[in-house]
Amino acid sequence: MTLPTAGPRLVRRGLVICALALLGLAGVYVLAIGYTPVEARQGLAQKIFYLHVPAAWCALLAFSLVGLSSALYLWLHDARLDRFAAASAEVGVAFSAVMLTTGPIWAKPIWGTWWTWDARLTLTLFLFFLFIGYLALRAALVDPAERARFSAVVGILGMLLVPFIHLSVYLFRTLHPQPVVLKPSAPSLPPEMLQTLLASVAVFTLLYIGLVTARYGIALAEEAREAADAA
Amino acid sequence: MPPDNGAYMVAGYVVTAVILVGYAAALWRRAGRAVRGE
Repeated sequence: MTLPTAGPRLVRRGLVICALALLGLAGVYVLAIGYTPVEARQGLAQKIFYLHVPAAWCALLAFSLVGLSSALYLWLHDARLDRFAAASAEVGVAFSAVMLTTGPIWAKPIWGTWWTWDARLTLTLFLFFLFIGYLALRAALVDPAERARFSAVVGILGMLLVPFIHLSVYLFRTLHPQPVVLKPSAPSLPPEMLQTLLASVAVFTLLYIGLVTARYGIALAEEAREAADAA
Repeated sequence: MPPDNGAYMVAGYVVTAVILVGYAAALWRRAGRAVRGE
């Protein structure tokens, strides 16, 4: 049975955007490997930067939007905001997984260790676990209104960590490199590196939009099916 | 002379592709089930 709702249309639209973004990701791989210069001190491992930074950008964007939409949900009680928060949280966890795996893979040859408990890394790991908890909470609660209300509070608390993570390299003594683009002065990168990084940020953001659209459509289709089953 | 650490770059690129393509594929399968009403 095909469900007569906006869900399937959003799912198709989201998956098409995802396919385009994944093609773009292949283009980013080509640019990063073939176009950007090899960094003199870090070698080829530095090229992980073109994936790690955009993944971190998308994860923090996703969790910030979860917090914003959660706050708006508590104010307006609009189910669309709760559905969007759930979609953005799940996609944010996927991007966090990229960030938290590519970071140690870069750190091992550059720092000589996979992991160190400095402020940026520790806060990022806490954020990841917090949103794993957010998804577990959503899965555990049956009543939709209760689920939306409780998870909105957790989503807002998660969002509050985001500025601390961005500013942690200034607030604490940390091994993590300082920002090279999002900082008060001009970006400190050669043009080939900056262009590739910006292209990658655009592709990752497009992928975020596609994944959230598809995930939102799936939630809509599942809700329509549950409503049809209950009727 | 830059250090010889290309294997780490390859590992990072493979892990990223596996996570993102894997998650997109999982959504695609879940979308199929949701739209068909299974």
